[in-house]
Amino acid sequence: MRDAAASAMAPLRLVAARRRWDLPGALMAVVIAIVTGLLIYGAADTSGFLTVSNLKAILTATSLVGIISVGMTAIMISGNLFSLSVGQTAAVTATMFLYALRVDLTVAIAAGIALGLGIGAVQGGIVGFLGANTIIITIGAGLLQEGLATWMTNGNSVVPPSGSSSYTHLALPLFGVPFAIYVFFAVAIVAEFVLRKTRFGRQLYLMGENRSAAHAAGLPTALLTTGAFALAGACTGLAGVLIGAASANGSLLLEGTYTYDAIAATLVGGNAVGGGRGSVARTVVGALFIATISDLLLLRGYSTGIQILVKGIIVAVVVVLTNLRRGR
Amino acid sequence: MKLAGPLRAAIRRVSAPYAILILMVAVLAVLPAVSHYSVTATNVYDVLQNFASLGLVALALGTTMIAGEFDLSVTSMYLLGAMVAVLTGAPSPVAGVLLALAVALGVGLIQGGVIAGLRLNSMPVTLGGYLILLGTTYILGHNQTVTYANYSVGLRLDQPILSIFSIRSFVSIGIFAVAALVMAYTRVGRDIHAIGGDRRASRIAGVRVARVVIGVFVASALMTALAGALLGYSLSTASPTIAVNQLTFAATAALLGGVSLAGGRGSPLGIAAGVLTLSIIQELLGILGAASYVQSLVTGGVLVAVASVQGLPAALARMRSLTAWRRPAAPPSSTAADA
Repeated sequence: MRDAAASAMAPLRLVAARRRWDLPGALMAVVIAIVTGLLIYGAADTSGFLTVSNLKAILTATSLVGIISVGMTAIMISGNLFSLSVGQTAAVTATMFLYALRVDLTVAIAAGIALGLGIGAVQGGIVGFLGANTIIITIGAGLLQEGLATWMTNGNSVVPPSGSSSYTHLALPLFGVPFAIYVFFAVAIVAEFVLRKTRFGRQLYLMGENRSAAHAAGLPTALLTTGAFALAGACTGLAGVLIGAASANGSLLLEGTYTYDAIAATLVGGNAVGGGRGSVARTVVGALFIATISDLLLLRGYSTGIQILVKGIIVAVVVVLTNLRRGR
Repeated sequence: MKLAGPLRAAIRRVSAPYAILILMVAVLAVLPAVSHYSVTATNVYDVLQNFASLGLVALALGTTMIAGEFDLSVTSMYLLGAMVAVLTGAPSPVAGVLLALAVALGVGLIQGGVIAGLRLNSMPVTLGGYLILLGTTYILGHNQTVTYANYSVGLRLDQPILSIFSIRSFVSIGIFAVAALVMAYTRVGRDIHAIGGDRRASRIAGVRVARVVIGVFVASALMTALAGALLGYSLSTASPTIAVNQLTFAATAALLGGVSLAGGRGSPLGIAAGVLTLSIIQELLGILGAASYVQSLVTGGVLVAVASVQGLPAALARMRSLTAWRRPAAPPSSTAADA
């Protein structure tokens, strides 16, 4: 029965293959050319864009969004779409970091990362072991994190203990370059290594490509999903530490637009939203792109609305284009 | 005797949302008797007003879920509907609503068209849609809260009728009734269930899947925009930043109402029960004077719990299949040869 259907489909598939020459590829090239042109024009035309301090600001923003996006990449590659609560996790871990500074800087960093890892692992565990929907669980988890954070802090913002200044090193430049950038590159390299060279990483790719095949092959899919979310949570916690150190004022307001920026960065890099294909290197490019666009729009004085709109258009165009290119 | 098990399970599955609702109504009714808190007609009115504000959003999201899709853009469609109506509806409130619906029609056609035409996953597409509509709402309102000069419209819409209803809640109830009839008795309703249950099978069976998907997204946008527009009149304001928790509420209500995330299961009546249940829970928290974060904790907790429980049977089945080789061999079947 299946064979009959397949042979009946064969000519159709040939037609489809012939028609799939490279219109989407050409379209993509055109879009990339237009966007590059706009960026160059914008960079040349916007006063204050091509200054050392602004480039540093872009790189810092890239790093903070990028570290979270690296974690998001693991989730996406594993075939679990994306998380809608990393912004809240970043805010919560930043607050935890600032609170734990009362003990010691090292403890505070560890606490921020560990809390993020735990928050991620719990969500991943529910998604993986109970087969729950990623989007629903992460929306619910976002609300729970907000509620718990408000409860524990009584709605007050958390500031570092008076007299403590050790944390400021995390927000200061090192050899003239913002510290977050070193962290970002270290995270990106480690994550790329983990995804490409370790058994865990390769199994994530396989699971994202074809979950039922992965399951049939005996891969621990539930555990892998938990691992992907835990990795994302740890990355977000690390970003939270840096965000907390930079703001020195921990509250839910730190959530900002990290959730959508991280999703946009991961998608813009060209990672397959359905999973199985993608890389951290792509995400690094995506994060740089999103941070540059945000900075450019901000410098040119565009309103919040335009900034959100532009990010939305970028997400929509990228989702459509990457899908066209993939073909069916 | 053989049927009793599955039948009982089916009844339990169908009636669970109503059982929870009845329980919540009972709690609301018994509360004054066992404590010093009083429950009045105003509380019932509040619950129905919440039903009026968020019920249609839950119905919109729930309908896309029944069709096996997910419309993440409902939150910003809601805000955009309110913004369009408030900005343009001062001379004629009806015209404002119609304009909001016209915008929604366009949004639904584009989102549904892209998703159905390119067979894309609706989550990333509607995420892009969410951001685009939110940005548009900000731009239309010049990043500010916009006020609606025609206060009388809102008062009229919210004026209590029979002390617990209002025009706004009647509108929601009416649309729920129509949706229930459409889903239960028309071909469209069966098609929506069918494409949510098994898209390939329904395509082969002759369901025009693309049309149904587009229709579902249009319906979602229209219902959300209508609820948003009426809320805008009711509050006499529209803003791009009012509570972003509509999506959480809508998803929780739909799941509580027995809509399956896997698609193919659920009904407007169930969704209505879910909305009322969640509204009563919120009202109870209000009566008890709970802090606002408790609302977040309860809603988030219910959402995670319901979503987890829903995946449980499938997860258990998977685990069973993993350990199947340990059990005595089943009689030889053709499926084993296929694999």
